[in-house]
Amino acid sequence: MAKIQFDKVEVGQTLPPLDVPVIEHANLVRYAGASGDFNPIHNDPDFARKAGLDGTISHGMYVMAQVGRLCTSWADQKDIAYFGVTFKAMTKLGEKLTVVGTIKKKFEKDGKKTVTVLVEAKNEAGEVKAGGDLVVNAV
Amino acid sequence: MAITKDIVGRKLDRFDFTVERGKIKEFCLAINEKNPIYFDVEEAKKAGYSDVPAPPTFPTVIMFWGYPKIWNDMAELGIDLSKILHLKEEYTYHKILYPGKVYAQSEISDVKVGRAEIVTFKTTIFDEKDDPILSAEMAIFIRKD
Repeated sequence: MAKIQFDKVEVGQTLPPLDVPVIEHANLVRYAGASGDFNPIHNDPDFARKAGLDGTISHGMYVMAQVGRLCTSWADQKDIAYFGVTFKAMTKLGEKLTVVGTIKKKFEKDGKKTVTVLVEAKNEAGEVKAGGDLVVNAV
Repeated sequence: MAITKDIVGRKLDRFDFTVERGKIKEFCLAINEKNPIYFDVEEAKKAGYSDVPAPPTFPTVIMFWGYPKIWNDMAELGIDLSKILHLKEEYTYHKILYPGKVYAQSEISDVKVGRAEIVTFKTTIFDEKDDPILSAEMAIFIRKD
C-alpha cells in the first residue's frame, strides 16, 4: 500500500467510509473466541439482563476492530503510529454501523510528517459508538 | 468493596505469549478483515512485511488469551465484573507485531473514584530482545446501579 502523501491530504478531507455488516449474536460469539474476551455481557443474554442491560451488547473491541479496518484500508499498517478510541455508547445486536474518517490535523516537525485522522463508528441514526484518533506517518 | 486510588502503580504478573499465524487468521475472520496480507505470508512479503502482521487491535488477544487472570485480578481489586464497560483503548505502535514470542507487563496507571469510577491499565508488549513493540492503555468504567 502506498504511503500517505503529506501534500495530497487536506484537513477536512474524508476517507472512503466502511460499512460494517449488521451485528448479530454469532459475530460476538465468534469474536469472543478469537479475542479471548468471554465477559458474559457479550455472550449470555440472561446474564446481560441480570446485569441491567436489555440484552447482550457488542464488545467495544469488536467495534474498535471495525474502525481499525478503516485505518488499514487507508494507510499502510507500517505507518500507523497511534490508534485510540473512546467508547461513547453501547452497540446492541441488530445495529448497523458505518466507519468514517476525516483528516483532522497535519504537521511537520523535525522533518517528520504526520497526519491525524478523526475516526468514528456510527449507527444509522448517526449515534457515535466509538471515536478517536489515528496518527499516521506520512511522506 | 469499592476501588481506591492506592492501587495505582500496582503491577500485574508478567506473562509470555506466542503470536501464531493461525490466531491472526482467526481474529481477522472474526472481524471481517479480508486483506490477504493477514492470511498469506507471500502476500505480506509483497506488501513489504517480513511475515503476516497482526492487525491493529490484535493486542487485545494477547491480553485476554495471554492473561485470563485479568478477571480475577479485577475482582480482587474490588471491580464488579457485571458492571464494567470499556471506556477507552489506545495503542502506541513502535514496531509491527508479527508471529513469534512476546511478553507483556501491565500495571494500573490511573484510578478515578467518586461519581464515575474509572480504572486504567497500561500494558507494554515486548519482543524477545526486550524491545517494546507497542503500548496499550485500556480504561474501564464501572457502572453504578
